[in-house]
Amino acid sequence: MEQNLPSRSLIKATIISVVIAIIALVLFILPAEYNIDPTGVGKKLGLTVFNKQAVIVQTQNLETGSSKTMEDSVVISVPARRGIEYKLAMRQYQKVSYEWNTNDGQLYVDLHGEPKGDTTGYFESYTIATVDKMKGSFTAPFEGSHGWYWKNKTNKDIKIQLTFSGQYSIEGIK
Amino acid sequence: MLSKFTISNGLMWFFTFIALVSFESFAHGVDETTRTFLLNNSGVQIIPFMYIGAKHMVTGYDHLLFLVGVLFFLHRSKDVLLYVSMFTLGHSLTLMTGVLANIQVDAYLIDAIIGLSVVYKGFDNLGGFKYYLGQQPNPKTAVLIFGLFHGFGLATKIQEFQLPGEGLAANLIAFNIGVELGQFLALMFILLIINVWRRYPSFNQFAATTNTALMSAGFMLIGMQLTGYVIN
Repeated sequence: MEQNLPSRSLIKATIISVVIAIIALVLFILPAEYNIDPTGVGKKLGLTVFNKQAVIVQTQNLETGSSKTMEDSVVISVPARRGIEYKLAMRQYQKVSYEWNTNDGQLYVDLHGEPKGDTTGYFESYTIATVDKMKGSFTAPFEGSHGWYWKNKTNKDIKIQLTFSGQYSIEGIK
Repeated sequence: MLSKFTISNGLMWFFTFIALVSFESFAHGVDETTRTFLLNNSGVQIIPFMYIGAKHMVTGYDHLLFLVGVLFFLHRSKDVLLYVSMFTLGHSLTLMTGVLANIQVDAYLIDAIIGLSVVYKGFDNLGGFKYYLGQQPNPKTAVLIFGLFHGFGLATKIQEFQLPGEGLAANLIAFNIGVELGQFLALMFILLIINVWRRYPSFNQFAATTNTALMSAGFMLIGMQLTGYVIN
């Protein structure tokens, strides 16, 4: 049923298959999948683009008093065709007021919270919309990670100016 | 009346799901459309889960490469049926028990073993085991054993969805049926191409090359998955 190659051909076939696999892995697969690019070929070919992380352009702490209420402002870039999260760690019943806007187009947004220590993937959405600005406040119904998921469905990066105040500690972009 | 309602309801879901499915970026480990689907749904969803299963199989190049290797030198329908049944038995067994018993296996390691199964079959097709071991290890047993690992691979994919316990068994069976439907569809294309190709002398001329390429693809899968395991 199977082929019967002479042993030299068998060894040759095995070595060739390993060599081709290593070349493909190093030059193309690892750069594209994991941003591991020892030769730099992946970057030259533009394969590392899949791993472009969301960049915080600037973070600015407007006011951090000794009081528990803080205010922060951040500019977040949501890469084209990608989704990112910006999260705040909050205890139960802590409150945050927020406002965000962009001039670059509309974003799908899901403001939601995930309970601390939860591993089931459960989350509760407070607001889902596709808009270019939003203003509001929420009180955390449980301790955990609360914040925004933005999805950029356009073909160019979208910059958001996000300002929020209240009681929280910043977890940042996830 | 009731059955009519169920069918139209199912069809509606089917089409809605097709409309929603696209390769979106990932949030919470599953893509956005699947996430939305899971957010809005609990309980038994037969058709959508069948669709997810079928889609995974048809787009799952690792499973398909293994099948190409298994089918490469099988020209009797009886053999094809037998080997495919062994594979199906193997992966269904571990898919069901893996998810229902909540056995957590590392997806990267399992996918690396699936890559190994492709290398194994390529090497086997080249007559490698016969040469080095004096005899070919029972190919039916090998297909069954690797089928078990492929099933664990499928189980890790469905565990990513973090399914609620409610209706899990029914959804899982639907997913499994979808996997078999997807496999059947993929098999038809693979068999068609191989059987047509078999009539030409180039089939035998390129048999060694094809199986070498198969091994190489298997090594790529292993390298990719092990790297993923190391860095995560």
